[in-house]
Amino acid sequence: MTAAARAGADEEVQGRIPDVAALAGALDAVDYLADPGLATAMFLAVRLPQPLLLEGEPGVGKTEAAKALARVLDTPLYRLQCFEGIDAGEALYEWNHPRQLLGIRLAEARGAPLAEDDLFGPEYLLRRPLLQAIEHPGPRPAVLLLDEIDRADAEFEAFTFEVLAEAAVTVPELGTIRAKHPPVVVLTSNRTRDLHDALTRRCLYHWIDYPDPERVAEIVRRRVPGSAEPLAVAAASAVTRLRSLEMVKPPGIAEVIDWVAALSLLGLTHLDAAAVEATWGSVLKNRDDQELARTPGAAWLAGA
Amino acid sequence: MPELPSVGAGPLAVGLTTALHRAGLPVTPERAAGLARALRLVPPVDRSALYWTCRVALVTDRAQLRVFDAVFSAVFDGLLDPADGRGDPNAPPPIGAEPHTRPAAPDRRPGTPGAPPESGTGTASGGDGDGEDSEREVLLAVASTEERLRQTSFADLTAEELTGVRELVRRLVLSTPERRSRRIRPSRRRGDRLDLRRTVRAAQRTGGDPVRLVHASRRRTPRRLVLLCDVSGSMEPYTRVYLTLLQGAVAGARAEAFVFSTRLTRLTRELSVRDPDQALARAGATTSDWAGGTRLAAGIGRFVSTHGRRGLARGAVVVVLSDGWATDDPEEVAEAMRRLRRLAHRVVWVNPRKAAPGYAPLVGGMAAALPYCDAFVSGHSLAALEQVVAAVREG
Repeated sequence: MTAAARAGADEEVQGRIPDVAALAGALDAVDYLADPGLATAMFLAVRLPQPLLLEGEPGVGKTEAAKALARVLDTPLYRLQCFEGIDAGEALYEWNHPRQLLGIRLAEARGAPLAEDDLFGPEYLLRRPLLQAIEHPGPRPAVLLLDEIDRADAEFEAFTFEVLAEAAVTVPELGTIRAKHPPVVVLTSNRTRDLHDALTRRCLYHWIDYPDPERVAEIVRRRVPGSAEPLAVAAASAVTRLRSLEMVKPPGIAEVIDWVAALSLLGLTHLDAAAVEATWGSVLKNRDDQELARTPGAAWLAGA
Repeated sequence: MPELPSVGAGPLAVGLTTALHRAGLPVTPERAAGLARALRLVPPVDRSALYWTCRVALVTDRAQLRVFDAVFSAVFDGLLDPADGRGDPNAPPPIGAEPHTRPAAPDRRPGTPGAPPESGTGTASGGDGDGEDSEREVLLAVASTEERLRQTSFADLTAEELTGVRELVRRLVLSTPERRSRRIRPSRRRGDRLDLRRTVRAAQRTGGDPVRLVHASRRRTPRRLVLLCDVSGSMEPYTRVYLTLLQGAVAGARAEAFVFSTRLTRLTRELSVRDPDQALARAGATTSDWAGGTRLAAGIGRFVSTHGRRGLARGAVVVVLSDGWATDDPEEVAEAMRRLRRLAHRVVWVNPRKAAPGYAPLVGGMAAALPYCDAFVSGHSLAALEQVVAAVREG
């Protein structure tokens, strides 16, 4: 990769998102509503470039933000869902052993000689998200989403950052694969544990707050096409009311969307006590929470 | 935008980071440089643009937002046209959120008596008593004193004795039972799953015939340990020793530590510092409500909803250190404990008042919590703390 070609690619990214307002507009065009804070954070992540760590309650749209960014850049999104005990084989690459065994058998049957190099060729390599993002040929960088990084152990966190800082992966049998366009990295965390200082030091940080009811209604209107406008507004403010209670699992934007979708499917055009009674389950997914909300009652929730 | 363009991005970044650093935020020069670069990309055309660029580039944790907002306001709001900030939903709160300092503790410096013991495992967990006892002898020099200390309640110790006891408590090793991890390691047993990678490697040596099958079994890892310590007024005689216990657990067993009285504070960070007394001082600076009243249900409930449910308590061994004297409704305590019990693998309750003659768990909060505990131990003295170690290790 020559420096000139890389500069050319940078220009292409710059052309797509010249400033924060342009990025906010482009996100809006792919139906993701970003407030100025999130738009600034994503703009800097792409243009500095620097990894972006997003935190916020479940359901405020952390993962969606990365997906929308990939759509704006018109590049693939590689998502790595982290979990306890995740290792390099699941994140980077793995050899396709069953296929290798098959290859050995086939070569034997044909009587063809088989060298080790044939067995450890690119066609036997199973590419996992990290390698895919690094190998992405361009013209613009891919978006790499490391979802719920706090669930992986600290060693994995360090390993991932080593790979990303180098923007290169060494497969002993194949050699070093260097990124033509280092990916735009978005990490999300639910704060189940403190992330390592080394990680937070390298990242931009943004905390996503739960948006106000008007914005939620706007998001719902876009995500559930064909839903009645007053329904989205009523559901959004009802969920804001619910969130004022001490919930075990406070409903998020995803729940509002589910709820409005369910109400629309039932042919309801406005929210009243009967409509709430029929659809408790799509907004509150925990028995304790349902009992808690039934105390003030369905009419209270419907805003009557 | 009136004044700002006259200030360069570099000086602006340095000025703000210096102010933040003075307010106690961990802002590095590296971040200041990052901010300067960011400001060149996002020209600060109004307060909102400047605010968000600075916040995204400098803040590394949600907990820092309050201080950041206050400092940002102090630095810039005099400089900018106030109209810019008016009606801003992110208008920072007034300054005054700094944590209070804890009243100075009398015995900060424990004069470590005798030579630091090197022999043995360094544990004081129950089981074979010989090795441990000899180790303590070295530490405390006089065996009989040591035996008396072992049985004395922490509340009755002199300041000097307390120092020695804390030294011993620091050496207690808490270890949790194991669970199966997702990771694998080679195994000799057949019937475990096949390690394909190693099998194929081995097959190359035999012309592609997988003659030798390599098996693998799941690795086992210890369960997570979470300690919740009550630091309200009624617990005061025990708090210092328990904090030492918490600190040893954070360092040795990678435990998560929280303290609560009227509110809940996560102390894992503060307690992971090497020097124990410095850690205790820092812990003191973090919790502003030492030795106040307890709100048991609120403390435990808050832990479950903000940390536990996110995964901290799931499958973990949770140890609650509290006397169960609380001001809130027993019904709420039961509810909080029920939610905790559903997440955790085991709940161990340590109540130093349990050792008092004639004690029965009749206090509202304690009685309500008891049905949800797997183990109920006293932990009021060194000997009793060994029961705690055993309760944590159990199944």
